[in-house]
Amino acid sequence: MIRIFFRSFILMIASAFAGSVVIFVLLRMVGGDIATIMLGTKATPESLAILREAFGLNRSWVEQYLSWIGGVFRGDLGEAYTGQYVIGTEIAQRLEPTLILTFGSLFIAIPSALIIGVYSAMNFKRWRGASVDAVAQVGLAIPQFFLALVFVLVFAVHLGWLPATGYVSVFIDPLVALRSMVLPIATLSLGITAVFTRFVRTSMIEQMNEDYMRTAKAKGHTVRSAAIVHGLRNSAIPLTTTGVLQIGALIAGSVVVENVFGIPGIGRLLLTSVMTREAITVQSLALVILLIILSMNLLMDVLYGLLDPRIRHKEGRK
Amino acid sequence: MKDSDASTNVNETQSARNFLIRSAKKSPQLILGIALTGFVVTITVVSFFWTPWDPININVEKRLLSPSFSHWFGTDRLGRDLLSQIMVGGQNTLYVTLVSTLIGVVFGTSLGLAAAGSGPRWGVIFTRISDIGIALPSILIALVLATTLGPGRLSVIVAISFWFVPVTARVVVGPARQILSLDFVEAAMTHGRSRMYILFRQVLPNIAPIVIVQTSMMLAAGILIEASLSFLGVGAQPPTTSWGKILMDSQSLVQEAPYYTLLPGSFVVITVLGFNLLGDGLAVLLDPQQSQKGVA
Repeated sequence: MIRIFFRSFILMIASAFAGSVVIFVLLRMVGGDIATIMLGTKATPESLAILREAFGLNRSWVEQYLSWIGGVFRGDLGEAYTGQYVIGTEIAQRLEPTLILTFGSLFIAIPSALIIGVYSAMNFKRWRGASVDAVAQVGLAIPQFFLALVFVLVFAVHLGWLPATGYVSVFIDPLVALRSMVLPIATLSLGITAVFTRFVRTSMIEQMNEDYMRTAKAKGHTVRSAAIVHGLRNSAIPLTTTGVLQIGALIAGSVVVENVFGIPGIGRLLLTSVMTREAITVQSLALVILLIILSMNLLMDVLYGLLDPRIRHKEGRK
Repeated sequence: MKDSDASTNVNETQSARNFLIRSAKKSPQLILGIALTGFVVTITVVSFFWTPWDPININVEKRLLSPSFSHWFGTDRLGRDLLSQIMVGGQNTLYVTLVSTLIGVVFGTSLGLAAAGSGPRWGVIFTRISDIGIALPSILIALVLATTLGPGRLSVIVAISFWFVPVTARVVVGPARQILSLDFVEAAMTHGRSRMYILFRQVLPNIAPIVIVQTSMMLAAGILIEASLSFLGVGAQPPTTSWGKILMDSQSLVQEAPYYTLLPGSFVVITVLGFNLLGDGLAVLLDPQQSQKGVA
């Protein structure tokens, strides 16, 4: 088990490095000169030179990359150009809402998907099971920003139950914080619940036909208890393997949701920085987002090992 | 002997004749998917020649009119006819999605085939690289690109393809390896067929169903991504309009004019649902065992 963790951890670090190169190159390959991008085409040569000097943009790519990555390790990401803030501190402050939003959504989505998926798999030949699938199919098709607007319309404008925008830190007022996060988390978790539900349903239907299910029934389990005791664990396995794709979607979704609900998280900072052409900030933000994705993947890998003893033992013997 | 031959012949002609009916029974999703996507594609194509009103005609006096007989979908914040806007907006959404999906399918499939055809060591490297590509969501790539390229169609297309290529490659590589291990491939090798011939003439046709289903799923995903990016202001730039762009404009007016948000949003939902159902339906029809295994 510890071996799997280390293996996944080393892979994660390698992926993070590779990803950082991709981000670094993407920012320089297409647009040409970063200084011009940040200042606009009307900038004077003098101001461009000053900016290049300040951000080390006149050095070679390799030097720039190394100094950036070195800064990441030292926790020093430099200062933003227009915002006049320290990038590292700003990112640290904005991590809290983003992490609450994304982990909160996973926390809601995974159990709901398991419950709904198993329920629909047990009724898969009846209309109840089929209708769950139909609802999940529609859930997949609703873009997050549209769902967010519909939620605002119904729960904030018409019913007045929940605030439409604004964010309060949990450390300041947990109750208000909770109220302000209900709609964002609901928005973000719905799509991912739909995806997960379909995976659980498909794999559960497969599991229902396995021999061990028949054995369980012969031992005196009811269909439902056999499904919950034995089937659930097995059908959760595909969730961890397909989760990789979904986590990317979850993080991408958080960028959208943060912007609709005005949550001061990483995603909102990213969009503002993109719009103001803060290339240096975007570079570090993209890396932070990649790290969040990769650590969630790591978590999934570990869960996978915990859920599937075959993997655990096979890897352990190596 | 003769009798049975005759009966199979009759069966074949009947089955050919009733192919549509049979497939409809087998996968009703397919029919619904064709209907929904057909509807959206039709009104988008029609918008090139005709729209109920001039989609860019601004008339502030008619600002935010609720749906009525003259304006079926009402008017937007500048008094433009919303139905015409939606019809024209479909052009950009569908164009961007089609181009990125095409790039994703062509390059992704080729890469996947190449990876399947090369040795195991390359296979591991391929898996790792494609994992990184898959882990980076399109929206993130689009935002990074938009910083330097500027917001707009090009950034969006590059970003979506950047994600679609590894996703397709990853979906293709497993089944392609399976086909490569079959006897007829070995037979072709002993006949001295080139690697290219085997991959493209023997493996590709056998994995075609998977590629087709994947294409449909990616069309759905592409529309979602394009709409989200346009909504964030990184996608379509004025004067080009797009569904996401219309929704961005409607966001602040959701209280005064709910229809302004709900109608264009429904078009995104219908289109994505249509392509997803089409993919699901095709999966059931082309390979019942593979159903529901697509990504995106």
